[in-house]
Amino acid sequence: MSLTLLNVIVAVVIAIAFAAANAAYLVWAERRGAARIQRRPGPNINGPFGLLQPPLDGIKLMTKQLMIPGGADKILFMVAPVLAMAPAIMSFVTIPFSEGIAAHNMELGVLVIFAFASMGAMAILFAGWGSRNKYSVMASVRAVSQNVSYEIPMLITAITVVMTTGSMDLKMISMAQSGGFWHWNIFPSLQSPLMPISFIIFFICSLAETNRAPFDLGEAESELVAGFHTEYGSMGFGLFFMGEYANIVIGASLTTILFLGGWDCPFGMFPGVWWFLLKIYLLIATFIWIRWTFPRTTIYGLLNLSWKILIPISLFNLLLTAGLLKVF
Amino acid sequence: MELQFTDFLYRDNVLWIAAFTLGGLAFALGPIAIVYLLMPRGTRQFENRNKQFIECGMPPIGDSWVRYGVVFFLYALIFLAFDVDVLFLFPVALAYNNEMFAYRDFVEVVIFVGILSLAIVYAWIKGVFKWERKTYLHQ
Repeated sequence: MSLTLLNVIVAVVIAIAFAAANAAYLVWAERRGAARIQRRPGPNINGPFGLLQPPLDGIKLMTKQLMIPGGADKILFMVAPVLAMAPAIMSFVTIPFSEGIAAHNMELGVLVIFAFASMGAMAILFAGWGSRNKYSVMASVRAVSQNVSYEIPMLITAITVVMTTGSMDLKMISMAQSGGFWHWNIFPSLQSPLMPISFIIFFICSLAETNRAPFDLGEAESELVAGFHTEYGSMGFGLFFMGEYANIVIGASLTTILFLGGWDCPFGMFPGVWWFLLKIYLLIATFIWIRWTFPRTTIYGLLNLSWKILIPISLFNLLLTAGLLKVF
Repeated sequence: MELQFTDFLYRDNVLWIAAFTLGGLAFALGPIAIVYLLMPRGTRQFENRNKQFIECGMPPIGDSWVRYGVVFFLYALIFLAFDVDVLFLFPVALAYNNEMFAYRDFVEVVIFVGILSLAIVYAWIKGVFKWERKTYLHQ
């Protein structure tokens, strides 16, 4: 495989541009969607349909004073937003958008993405602890215990998929599901009849990993002001915000690749990058829809949902799949 | 034969990840650099108050770096026991259903997952998942 410097630079720039555009316009989509769901106008003044709102918000955030509270841990305080944003970009290194469109295909793709995704918990912990604010400390402790709890069922369901496919390569996993929607992993097969439940578990976990409502205990506005980013103004807050949306894109892409057949067309026609984009935006629309429809859970209900229900079910599913793979 | 750097198996992977790491850092540090160029230096009002933590308008009482409920720490502990073990399942899943194992791999997965789930059973019996208001002697 040829590895030229130009290739790498172009891929990095495209990944950054894709992440930035998505982060900016998913905020707009989220606010418009929220407004539509709650029967209010939402951002509609700047530009047609309020489309100029994200760049204007960016300018506003960039010209605000970046204040570090006195007594805070300055290093952790400044490292946290960087840690929230950078892994989201790094995950794009191995996500295949189509058969030919991927920055670099790795044999250990699933593991690489999970490794980068787990850095998000560190960013939240640094932000909350470094701010030295009571709300932030509480929020960070909550969010970290939530993130670590939901990582396990996510990993176990991913292992189930890896076991049926026999590959950790995201491209291979997608290719194995090609040829019509009945080949997709979301539908039950002889080897793993519980796949729809796996998909639901994985989806719930990706909601919880990105700290989205109804699992947004880390930034519960009504209890904790703004949670772990209470003390952040200016671009420190902006980076957390963009990182959240970039992580949503990563989560939706991973769900699409593992369960929805990647770039495969449901009817076996015109496989290509547009199907992949259509699927991830449908998933993201579901994320937004869920956020504005369900009320927030409690922290103990949330943690116990993972440990008492999701993890036992996913472990059972793993064993069932392992057994049936031997039979069929 | 000695391995050269060009023969290194994961050279391309490492280089790509390094490039994306640099890109991610640039994208994260760039806006902060721009903020430092554009932001106003001083604040007109409340000059001596703007370093204070946000406590909804009241002067903060006490430090916030205090001890918090041990429950969260217990969750982190079971996570540690669990996550490291779950990672061992990835290579197993890759090598699973190879002809040369016959039924041995299934038996081993069952034993491994069985021991692993004892961690949950133990925590459940010990009452980690029970959230009760705890009373302490010194209060």
